[in-house]
Amino acid sequence: MASTKETYRVELRAAARQLGERGLYSAAKWAAELLVGIEPDATPAPSAAMDTPSSSGSAASGGRLLHLHRSGGSSFRRRLRPGGGASEAGTPLGGVSYVSTPIPDDDAFDVGADKYLLAKTYFDCREYRRAAHVLRGQAGRKAVFLRCYALYTAGEKRKEEETIELEGSMGKSNAVNQELVALERELSTHRRTGAIDSFGLYLYGIVLRDKDCEGLARTVLVESVNSYPWNWSAWLELQSLCTSSDILNNLNLKNHWMKDFFLASAHLELKMHEEALKRYERLMRVFRCSDYIQAQIATVQYSMRDLDEADMIFEELLRTDPFHVDSMDVYSNLLYAKESSTALSFLAHRVFLTDKYRPESCCIIANYYSLKGQHEKSVLYFQRALKLNRKYLSAWTLMGHEFVELKNTPAAIDAYRRAVDINPRDYRAWYGLGQIYEMMGMPFYALYYFCKSSYLQPNDARLWNAMAQCYESDQLQMIEEAIKCYERSANSNDTEGIALHQLAKLHSMLGQSEEAAFYYKKDLERIEAEERQGQNFVEALLFLAKYCKNIGRFEEAELYCTKLLDYTGPEKETAKNILQGLKRAQSGYPSMDIDDFAM
Amino acid sequence: MNVFAGVGGGAVGKEAASVGGGALLELTPHKLAVCHLVQIFAPPPPPQAVVAAPALPFPFESVAHHNRLGLFLFALTRSCEDFLEPPLEELLRQLKAVDSLVNGWLCQQLTSTLSALNSPDDLFNFFDKLRGVLSAPEGANVEDEFLDPNSQLGVFLRCCILSFNTMAFEGVCHLLANLVEYCNSSETSYDFAEDEAFNSEIEMSNFMDANIHVRDAIFDKYSKGYAPESHMGEDSSSLVHAPTSLHDFDEAIFKAEDNPDCLRSRWQLEAYLNQQADILEKDPSLVPLNSFNATMSQLQALAPELHRVQFLQYLNALTHDDYIAALDNLHRYFDYSAGMQGIFSRSSSSFQDIIVGKYESALLCLGNLHCYFGHPKKALEAFTEAVRVSQMNNDDSCLAYILGAISNLLSKIGMSSTIGTIGSPYSLGNNIGLGTPLSIQQQLLVLLKRSLKRADTLKLTSLLSFDHLSLAKFDLKHVQRPLVSFGPNAYTKLRTCPADVCKNLRLSSHVLTDFGVDGLSASSDNGSFSTSWLRNLSAASNSWCSSSTKSRKVLTNDFDSFHFHAQPSPIPAAVLQLAGSAYLLRATAWEHYGSAPMVRMNSLVYATCFADAASSSELSLAYVKLIQHLAAFKGYSAAFSALKLAEEKFPSTANSHIQLLKMQLLHERALHRGQLKIAQQICDEFGVLSSSVSGVDIELKTEASLRHARTLLAAKQFSQAANVANSLFSTCYKYNMQVENANVLLLLAEIHKNSDNAVLGLPYALASQSFCKSFNLDLLEASATLTLAELWLALGSTHAKRALSLACQSLPMILGHGGIELRARAHIVLAKCHLSDPKFKVTEDPCSVLDPLNQAVEDLQVLEYHEMAAEAYYLKALVYNNLGKLDEREEAAASFKEHTIALENPYNEADSLAY
Repeated sequence: MASTKETYRVELRAAARQLGERGLYSAAKWAAELLVGIEPDATPAPSAAMDTPSSSGSAASGGRLLHLHRSGGSSFRRRLRPGGGASEAGTPLGGVSYVSTPIPDDDAFDVGADKYLLAKTYFDCREYRRAAHVLRGQAGRKAVFLRCYALYTAGEKRKEEETIELEGSMGKSNAVNQELVALERELSTHRRTGAIDSFGLYLYGIVLRDKDCEGLARTVLVESVNSYPWNWSAWLELQSLCTSSDILNNLNLKNHWMKDFFLASAHLELKMHEEALKRYERLMRVFRCSDYIQAQIATVQYSMRDLDEADMIFEELLRTDPFHVDSMDVYSNLLYAKESSTALSFLAHRVFLTDKYRPESCCIIANYYSLKGQHEKSVLYFQRALKLNRKYLSAWTLMGHEFVELKNTPAAIDAYRRAVDINPRDYRAWYGLGQIYEMMGMPFYALYYFCKSSYLQPNDARLWNAMAQCYESDQLQMIEEAIKCYERSANSNDTEGIALHQLAKLHSMLGQSEEAAFYYKKDLERIEAEERQGQNFVEALLFLAKYCKNIGRFEEAELYCTKLLDYTGPEKETAKNILQGLKRAQSGYPSMDIDDFAM
Repeated sequence: MNVFAGVGGGAVGKEAASVGGGALLELTPHKLAVCHLVQIFAPPPPPQAVVAAPALPFPFESVAHHNRLGLFLFALTRSCEDFLEPPLEELLRQLKAVDSLVNGWLCQQLTSTLSALNSPDDLFNFFDKLRGVLSAPEGANVEDEFLDPNSQLGVFLRCCILSFNTMAFEGVCHLLANLVEYCNSSETSYDFAEDEAFNSEIEMSNFMDANIHVRDAIFDKYSKGYAPESHMGEDSSSLVHAPTSLHDFDEAIFKAEDNPDCLRSRWQLEAYLNQQADILEKDPSLVPLNSFNATMSQLQALAPELHRVQFLQYLNALTHDDYIAALDNLHRYFDYSAGMQGIFSRSSSSFQDIIVGKYESALLCLGNLHCYFGHPKKALEAFTEAVRVSQMNNDDSCLAYILGAISNLLSKIGMSSTIGTIGSPYSLGNNIGLGTPLSIQQQLLVLLKRSLKRADTLKLTSLLSFDHLSLAKFDLKHVQRPLVSFGPNAYTKLRTCPADVCKNLRLSSHVLTDFGVDGLSASSDNGSFSTSWLRNLSAASNSWCSSSTKSRKVLTNDFDSFHFHAQPSPIPAAVLQLAGSAYLLRATAWEHYGSAPMVRMNSLVYATCFADAASSSELSLAYVKLIQHLAAFKGYSAAFSALKLAEEKFPSTANSHIQLLKMQLLHERALHRGQLKIAQQICDEFGVLSSSVSGVDIELKTEASLRHARTLLAAKQFSQAANVANSLFSTCYKYNMQVENANVLLLLAEIHKNSDNAVLGLPYALASQSFCKSFNLDLLEASATLTLAELWLALGSTHAKRALSLACQSLPMILGHGGIELRARAHIVLAKCHLSDPKFKVTEDPCSVLDPLNQAVEDLQVLEYHEMAAEAYYLKALVYNNLGKLDEREEAAASFKEHTIALENPYNEADSLAY
């Protein structure tokens, strides 16, 4: 176990360094976070590990890099190789044997090292074109990558600027990354001649994605992660291209342990919550202290409506890392769902102080205002979040909710529709659209949207309930269809308990008292199990009492009536009447049917 | 004289309104070029006050020349051929055609001016100079020549100047960069293939190709000395080149932009979309589904807030029968625009009350979609919801349209009276306050009348005309019963009323005079004139390019002559379409009432006068009527040769009318020739054509089983034929199709007659006759009378007298209006009546028998109707035998044999499906 962990550590250390050297900051950040997240070995032998030069790297990579260049050295790497990248197969994690991937050797650039250094500093200072310019003519893979990456980034930056500059009366003009064509040409040439490393492939993949060649982009990204699995950004790009589980299953991925992270995250995205949770829990055994996994687990649990559990995890997360913003929007959604405005305000304050110009921060603040009922302000902050990231899916949806509260239906519809167009699999937005149209008294029109949403989320009782309510509405009155929908809802664990009650009601409306009694009984069981009471309970009891009496099951009827006696109101009197009738019937008197008149 | 003062008066207001709304023109290099040309066209007046007589500005030789440039510029700002602006190359070519008099001075001037704009400051000065064009000089009087700021060009110029003034520095930089691209694109001398076909896809691909060339040129410029690039893929989307080394690209951080994709002005875009919608509506087969979608998504990428593009995508999917895509696009369009960009797209900026907006129009569209795809129940649900929502929103005009749509649905889709009363809970019929539920037909009538009333009060002339047409259609086929009848004494005349039909048809044509009132059909310049003017121009210039040997003189006036269709019609196409359908309906009405010449005349009027505005399906219907007429009066060979011509115009695979007609003709010919197998085969094909959903394609289904029964009858399978006819009768009865019932009853009578059950046949014939009477189907009635005569005749010679009088009774109608088959039959019956009359002596009056028989034989030869021809010859032989004319007898007998053999051994089975 320990040796496995050590292998991971060595791999991650090298990865964080290599990624950082190439300007792939977030991937490097992710790797470094994970590295720290590995559970410390039980055996107190840190000193031994410290001694090896390979592990000392994580402390001050910049300095070491410098040192490395000065010594012109490949000596360091030669020593590293047997430790990290060698053929030693990783110990199985959870019974699966992994393919070990050798850590690739960095280019030995004796010639262009200085220029690379200069370019990297330019890159770090965000002078991308300058960086690319410095590296022109350099043929080393690392240099080629950084040059292309700098160009790409420069193009992206320009694109962002242009989107603002070119905004016309008919919407944005199509600002595109001007470098894409040249980059694609160059990188495809390199790929064909084999003169490309996995980082280059990653860049090629995102260039292809931007050019809407998704199939090829997927292939290239798979190549990239297979040859260098530690680049989390590449995995994320790959994930964004896997829009269905079919695509996911058809990927030809090497079985590296990073694949587990990918699959878990992809499953979460595809709403396969159980699978995701299982995988994350397995990963937790090794990366016990990883914040990332914690946050992901919390997200899964939130998605599975396990609010308390998720709340605990997020709280813990914030305690260990108070300046964490990444998945805090999920936390804010959770707090919103739990209606704990104090905690939400606390969170909002904290992220505001940490970095107020992040879309997540704006979203959290908006959530807070929404919870407080100040919907105008909430919309304002959602709009800010969307200004920062136009493709921020949940912000569009949530803004739609706010507009609904403000009774601004066209704006709400627009917001939801944008969410749907960004991700057609967002069932919440489809549901929102349906709700609005239903509110506007257009249940038939709304059905289309409910169909869409329940198609995407077939096991969600709420969606089926909504659809059934449309069918059941005064305007449509398609009772048979409504019953079908409620049945689906009841079968998919309807926690709100609407389905059973409605089923019973609709059946009794259609005169199918047997089915009605069946569902009333089930509803009764559910209510009793949840120890709740209310009008539904009374209604069910009353119906069952009458029904049992009518079919001659007097004991049962008596039971229901006695239960009814606990309640005040007209039902109590009715129950008394029925009881009297029962007694008469049981004692052999001919039934007078007084109680029937009473009803 | 103000140059172009007040040109396009109405449009100016619209443009100005859109400017007021903050939607400025977006400056593009093309617009700069136009601005420059405007400046040449109307140069700023010299600073010194008016000295000379109003002379032409410098380069112009004549007033005509001057005006031509003005017209050209006007067309440039109005044309809507494409959504992208043309590249400089294209503009120069067009300009050359205008400019041929001054040796391309304008072109040179234009290119040099544009390429001289090198810095933001140059642009600034350029616009400064432009401002001078608009300001009238001090002391100028009205007679002087200057550009009216309120003219089309004046407004254009002002918009450009305003747009530049509000532009941020970034915008100026972009404009400059685009300008460089724009100028570069003309420097490279690629061959821009000109295509006349109005297919934007081809244009697009040309455009893309051009882009590749431009790119190549740029690369050439920046990468001198590299190995030649090789194209890896042929398609333009992957601009994959393989230069061997690339690093020096960085030397010049050039704007690797494609030729700038500049959108035209909003007005032009909308006109372009309207034009595309018209084409889609007229003839979907002209627009390929996928390439049109590609064009639209490109436009959408360029203008994401122009939501009407989605509506066009919906239309496209609808006309190409793509249900899912149509539904998706419909919902998307209304989600985004909330119906505010208007579905009645003719005039979106004015007539606020006409834009029914909001969501009831979404439901209206949804209902129409379901109606189109044959989902009557869903369509009704959508419509009832639309009614409710529009009542809630007080949207009267939309409500009127919805009622019209519902009645359209009800008349189109057969609804049995037993199932599914409209809109289950919300019965529209009950709304009028009658306790009793109404039949579908009554509901339809009520709805139509309500829609008519609303349309009348709201002055929606198009709808009014449409409702009149629907009412005429209704009156044609239905007896109007009073909704409430009190007591047994209430007198009801159970007949249709042709006068009502005529009245409604005449009223519906009022749309031709009243259309100005209706905002929807208001005539406005939709840019088509400018578009075709420009297209003619480029055609002219093209021919000039290709044959430079032509003398200049010949060309000077060539492009001034417009094609005929380029003339702007004072009547909008939609109105013409409605007015045309009145004629088509008139033809149908006469078809029912049984006057062949009137059918032909009305169809001819339609095909000649309304062909331009008609949709392909309606136009083909007119053709079908004409060809049917030919078949009935001139025989099959004439009909088939006409059909061939029609098929060239409308490919039969795409056009259901033509396809149906072809099958009808083939079936009838096969029946006449006795090729029963083929007839059966065609019957089966008929059955496949209709949808399997009950209630949909009712007419097609009726016709299929009618033909099936007739085939069985021809095959002498009487009981089966009777079964089919009986079930057909009950279906027709269920769906209240009384007119068809008359036909079916007659067929039943025929079946019984042929199976020697004349007694059984009599009641059917009588019933058919009475049906025909109450629906005024005169020709059919005559034919029923004829059958009745035959039936009496079959009962024995004692009834010959009665039969003769019946036959004579039907003769005027049949000889006046009937087709040759019917005429021949009447003649034969007449002869038979005489012959079987015991008192009749052939020798006394041979002509009264022989004349009709000869006439019948002549007609039947044309029709190739072997069975009846054989009968006629047989009778002839009998008569000649009686007369003792043996030679003639032998001749007739030989012909009889010939036809009988032909009937029993149908020849050329193989080619009988050909014609």
